[in-house]
Amino acid sequence: MPIELREVSYTYAPGTPYAAQALKKISLIVRDGEFVGIMGRTGCGKSTLIQLAAGLLTPSAGQVFLDGEDINERHFDRNRLRQKVGVVFQFPEIQLFETTVEKDTAFGLKYLDWSGEKKQAAVRRALEWMGFDFEAVRNRSPFGFSGGEKRRLAIAGVLAVMPKFLILDEPTAGLDPLSREAFLELLRKLHQGGMTVLMISHDADALAEYAGRIVILKEGMLFRDGPAAEVFSDQEGLKENGISAGQVREMTERLRRRGWEIPCGTIRYGQLLEEIAGRWPR
Amino acid sequence: MKQLPVGLYQPGSSVIHRLDGSAKLLCLFILLAGVVHTASLPGYGIWAAFTVCLIRLAHIPPGTAFGSAARLKWFFGVILLMNLCFYGPEHPWMRWWIFCPSYEGLIQGIHVVARVFLLLVLSNVLMVSTAPLAMTDAMERLLSPLRLIGVPTDLAAMILSVAVQFIPTFFEETDNIRKAQTARGARFDSPKLWEKAKAVLPLLVPVFLAAFQRADELSLAMEARGYRTDRRVWKKKYPPYQAADWLALLLCAALAAAFIII
Repeated sequence: MPIELREVSYTYAPGTPYAAQALKKISLIVRDGEFVGIMGRTGCGKSTLIQLAAGLLTPSAGQVFLDGEDINERHFDRNRLRQKVGVVFQFPEIQLFETTVEKDTAFGLKYLDWSGEKKQAAVRRALEWMGFDFEAVRNRSPFGFSGGEKRRLAIAGVLAVMPKFLILDEPTAGLDPLSREAFLELLRKLHQGGMTVLMISHDADALAEYAGRIVILKEGMLFRDGPAAEVFSDQEGLKENGISAGQVREMTERLRRRGWEIPCGTIRYGQLLEEIAGRWPR
Repeated sequence: MKQLPVGLYQPGSSVIHRLDGSAKLLCLFILLAGVVHTASLPGYGIWAAFTVCLIRLAHIPPGTAFGSAARLKWFFGVILLMNLCFYGPEHPWMRWWIFCPSYEGLIQGIHVVARVFLLLVLSNVLMVSTAPLAMTDAMERLLSPLRLIGVPTDLAAMILSVAVQFIPTFFEETDNIRKAQTARGARFDSPKLWEKAKAVLPLLVPVFLAAFQRADELSLAMEARGYRTDRRVWKKKYPPYQAADWLALLLCAALAAAFIII
């Protein structure tokens, strides 16, 4: 089920002195099974873009399609959209509110016509994905956990409904390196399991590692859109626009300038190691 | 946020915007006293003309200036009708059941509506043309004589200005949480009242938690920068009124006095 944005524009507080156009005629199709990374400087419209894609904002102009249906049509079933598209906002830990972990994780399942067992199984699975022991945490208050744990709990609450499409807004900001790594690995697993992932991040190395496609926004317009290796190989062009192509790409560039023949598209840590190690006989 | 809240400050550089906040606030009080003492329809005509002049001077779009009052159109309608029907039972046009509409009632109704309308529009002009911080400064300044009898006006002003500063943050945070819960499947638009009340919980709990946490962090940050409530040595110096401020006060006072005396 692709999500398609067709010539979408969005203006905040239109018709007032505070009006600000966040997006200008953006067209974008995210196909099934893609892992798309979205980059851009602060204020370029990334967050607005994902909120439009998730149907949380209504475009000022243009349309958003889910499976070919306009989600802003009056007859469109919003509940189906909510179940199919999960959104992890920046600092999702603020959305916790229930008295127990189990209830909070099950919040999104409330309106689904699933059986009790199916719901509990979904909650268990989501919590286990996020690295919790279901039996140990189910009756604890979500507010008794540490910051990083709370974030994982909140994400479990989003994953419980088994969305086909997962949208994330800088999910790794403020996580310690190990949690970050574990979370990205989980994303890879979900992606391999068939989930379509759309992730905003400033972390070019993580996106290079995990995302197949990179979309870069600039001042509310599409600046780059293509396979990760292709987009990141133009390191100069990105740098001029204040976007880092990542440390691995930086290293590749330095080595290339010293005369090493490494392809520009070497953007992953593993690839680079291979390139370097491959120069010497065993 | 689709619709901006009523009375939101709109930056500008008009004569009205540049007046001192406390002078403007004083002017408003004086004008309101005048409006309340007005007792004739031509009097309200003069006030209306004056208000329109103010709005033009402040370069406020008419929609913004009258928006707050226009939203109360049903309230005005009801007030007018009630006065019309119940006010003057002596010489009614007709009597029917408990209703006795009369000319006196109609006039009284128009008076009440005109008063409330003018109060709303005038205060709206002040709100829209004064930055929130200038407003809290103005209140502090007007209250500062109370310091002589030991009222901690600077503390009150600090509380007020912190509260005002955090209103936009609070709105934004509420909006974010609402979106996050909506994306999780929360329904805030159920027609059933009980459902609606229950739906507020996922919004209310996080908003309160976030507010308390923010308050905690802010107080720590203020203490870290040396803010203490038990040892206040600084005395705020207020800028003196300019000619324009005095002129505005004089004008308002003259206008209000004319109405009060007549």
